[in-house]
Amino acid sequence: MRKWIAGAALALAAMTGPALADGHASYPERPIMMMVSYGAGGATDFQARIVTMTAGNEDALGMPIAILNRPGAGGRVGWNWFATEAEADGYTLAAYNVPHFIAQSIEGGVSYSTDDFEPIANWGADPAVFVVGADSEFDSMADVVAYAKENPGGLTFSGAGLFVGHHIAALQLEKAAGVKLAYIPNNAGGAGAMRAVIAGEVLGGVNNLSDAFRAQAAGNVKILGVFDLERNAFLPDVPTMKEQGFDIDNASVNFRGVMVPKGTPQEVIDRLAEVVPTMFENKRVQSRMEAGGSPMAIMTRDEVIEMWAARQATLEELLAGL
Amino acid sequence: MTSLPRSQHIIASGLIAAVGVTIAYISYTQEPAEAYVFPRLISSVFAVLAIWTFVKAVLGRTKVGNGISGDAMLKMAPGLVVTLVYVFWAAKALGFYTATTIAFFILVSLYDPAPHTQLKTWVKRIAITAGFMLVMYGLFAQLLNVFTPRETLF
Amino acid sequence: MDFLFYMGDVFTPINFGLLLLGTIGGLILGATPGLSPTMAVALLIPFTFQLEPQQGLILLGAAYTSTVAGGAVSAILLKIPGAPANIATTLDGHTMATKGEGAKALQLSFLASAVGGLFGVFLLIFLTPVLAQWALAFGPSHLFWLAILGVTVIGTLDSSSVVKGLLAGCIGLWLATIGFDDIMGAQRFIFHPSVSGGINVIPALIGLFAIPQVITMFTKGRSSDDAEIISVKRHPIRLAFVEVLRRKTALFIGTITGTIIGLIPGVGGQIAGLVAYDQSKKFSRESEKFGTGHSEGVIAAESANNAMVGPSLVPLLTLSIPGSPTAAVLLGGLLIHGIFPGPDLFMNYPQVAWTFIDSMLIGQILMCIFGLYIAGLAARVARVPHAVMAAVVLGLAVFGSYSVQNSMGDVYVMASLGVGMYFLERFGFSAAPLVLGLILGPIAEANFIQGSMIANATVGMGSYFFTGWLNWLLILIVLASVSYSIWMEVAQRRYTTKDDAVAKEEAMS
Repeated sequence: MRKWIAGAALALAAMTGPALADGHASYPERPIMMMVSYGAGGATDFQARIVTMTAGNEDALGMPIAILNRPGAGGRVGWNWFATEAEADGYTLAAYNVPHFIAQSIEGGVSYSTDDFEPIANWGADPAVFVVGADSEFDSMADVVAYAKENPGGLTFSGAGLFVGHHIAALQLEKAAGVKLAYIPNNAGGAGAMRAVIAGEVLGGVNNLSDAFRAQAAGNVKILGVFDLERNAFLPDVPTMKEQGFDIDNASVNFRGVMVPKGTPQEVIDRLAEVVPTMFENKRVQSRMEAGGSPMAIMTRDEVIEMWAARQATLEELLAGL
Repeated sequence: MTSLPRSQHIIASGLIAAVGVTIAYISYTQEPAEAYVFPRLISSVFAVLAIWTFVKAVLGRTKVGNGISGDAMLKMAPGLVVTLVYVFWAAKALGFYTATTIAFFILVSLYDPAPHTQLKTWVKRIAITAGFMLVMYGLFAQLLNVFTPRETLF
Repeated sequence: MDFLFYMGDVFTPINFGLLLLGTIGGLILGATPGLSPTMAVALLIPFTFQLEPQQGLILLGAAYTSTVAGGAVSAILLKIPGAPANIATTLDGHTMATKGEGAKALQLSFLASAVGGLFGVFLLIFLTPVLAQWALAFGPSHLFWLAILGVTVIGTLDSSSVVKGLLAGCIGLWLATIGFDDIMGAQRFIFHPSVSGGINVIPALIGLFAIPQVITMFTKGRSSDDAEIISVKRHPIRLAFVEVLRRKTALFIGTITGTIIGLIPGVGGQIAGLVAYDQSKKFSRESEKFGTGHSEGVIAAESANNAMVGPSLVPLLTLSIPGSPTAAVLLGGLLIHGIFPGPDLFMNYPQVAWTFIDSMLIGQILMCIFGLYIAGLAARVARVPHAVMAAVVLGLAVFGSYSVQNSMGDVYVMASLGVGMYFLERFGFSAAPLVLGLILGPIAEANFIQGSMIANATVGMGSYFFTGWLNWLLILIVLASVSYSIWMEVAQRRYTTKDDAVAKEEAMS
């Protein structure tokens, strides 16, 4: 009996062996799924759909990428699923948001960290900005901070949740200005946080540059400052926080890109790392992103690994004070 | 009211009350406390209402709900077993389409009143199963591109 | 009257073709269990990459309109609500179908959808600036009270005992807290890995409605007496028109409730149908007939969920804020073409904006025509034996709940909740209040926490939640609703179960 089993196992190995060896050469053989840990219609979802739209072309992967949304708790639901349950076979990709998932892994209570994911490439960088309602009395960050100094803990401002880029920006602002603020996380994400600002429920808000740009164009908000090292091409007139005298770097900038779970075959990772950035560089993709007001920042796998490590160090230091 | 529904009501409402009390206990003891403000509120109301229902059941004052007759339990048992095996084991282990084909065929055969002895009955059952699976495959695999677990065959 | 000026654009061959495609495709997608309107519209986004902005939006607008109405098909014939919007439709619609009035229920639902939908789009056309202010008026405290109002509705919704209705609502509210807490990110009540991501509303919905029905069919055994689930009687369309017009109260309440609730960001279409159903039950002269296959129930629910389509786009088109998940997906469809919605959308891109709105108007009518045609087909699919019906519903439930997030966990949750719900139903609990709790839970909790954070930083809890006319108004309605429930519990004589009520109803007629 044992002999029989051994023989069967051998035969099976002989059959599957060669299949495995050249199995990845023909990758991908079927449509690929990409998980987005935010709801359909959000900035990450919207951009993910655009940057993957050319995946089916012959010069790209030759197979379409389907977007699957797993929203909840600021991205934790989706990334937790991705780290613990997703199959590492190259057919399950995910969008990442840095600093969100790194900050959440440092804060704890989730089953992922930078070690559980393998980055493929980065497509976008969306800085956080400080917005106030169009009829607000604040005209600069100095006004905001002056108000906060008079009313410690009384300056309410909205953001997309706890331990996401907006929250990091809020913490940096508190630290740099030396004031206490009332950060109100919104359960409906960036859109809900923006609504709260426009409706006057809060005095101000931190939001995505891409969404704020649109809201300003619609005449609903004023943008007072950018949480980045340099001014943004979409908003050349809006000064950075540093220009306004607050020592804030780009730790809160929302980097978006593609990753796979740890354990994905190296050949698959290499192929994706080679092809995916070229998808992002596609002219049609770039023009759609530009039209939608979404700033792009294409980075290769090696650059992203470096960026993750740098963010990890910065965020550990920033969140240690909490 | 006969005694069968009454004892069933006591068991059912007892189980619900136990769940209510358990989640209330968890809500009041787990950390971080600020994440449990809302669960505390609802689990308290839950527990109170569940205990009320339980007390009413014990006193025999339950007004609504017929319970489950023995006949119904016997009749549903095979179908329920097939359903549970299908959903919790076969769908993943055998692949969606294989498991659904088998479960569908068994269920139709189990509950179809037509006599089992005629060939015509079986041809009809196979045709219905094949038709349903074709529609499912066309809708989910072809039109919507859903990649379901596939282990055996497809 | 700009919208009339651009009406011609809808009828160019390509645009009208897309409109037809969106409408028919939307009806099919909407009738598929597990595919909510949001997902259906998101699925179509890639197709719009290739199209002109105007054409893309026509496709999306038509699909949005008809998926909402298409959900009624599976809700009525199979008792699987495709999306939360169609929950209320199952209550009377499916009961009608089991009585052999499936064709009538479908006709009524599509006619009511068209009336509600047209009203909603006309509101969008004529009153957008006024409505925009209303959409902004609801802050965290108001949304909290609104959710509480929804909870008080639970007690009287499709339940023969107020206490058991409330208890079912509590079970739903508790199920909603499972998983990560939305704001703090703490993990709560995770007793099995399948629920670590929380309980997704759509698989839960499928399980809670479809599975008890499957098991009920099992309990009938191999009986050959006339246990066929749907042996549809033909029903002339003319009579359906007469019926819809005769039920003015239900149509009016459904349409008004749908438009008002559709405007409120974040609550929207999910509960419009249920609230309208409950309200028209309270105002109806035949309120005891609700839940027994009464046409008013279908008319109120379906006119409400389509009436909400137009108004739900108001915050998007005027303020550039998507008020509902579907509006968020439509925003994406605009952005890829470089069109930013906002107050000057109608000035900068009149051709796109007005054609889009016109296509929703025409779409409502096309949806109604195709819907009535489907209803006619349903009459031909007569006599489905319950063995086949049970297997079909089970298979659709499994595939539908898997396809929401490609997750086995969702399928397990669907089946567990479904089997549990069967037993709960036998003891006098019903699924509708449970689902309402599941939907309202996160809204109530998140707004309570946000509200108290703002309150603590500014004016204090007491004055934040209890001052302002809108808070007062909502609190008053909550109190009225609670008193009504208590009065119902004390004064009305109650039937034993829904089955008994249906039987009693049939005996009388």
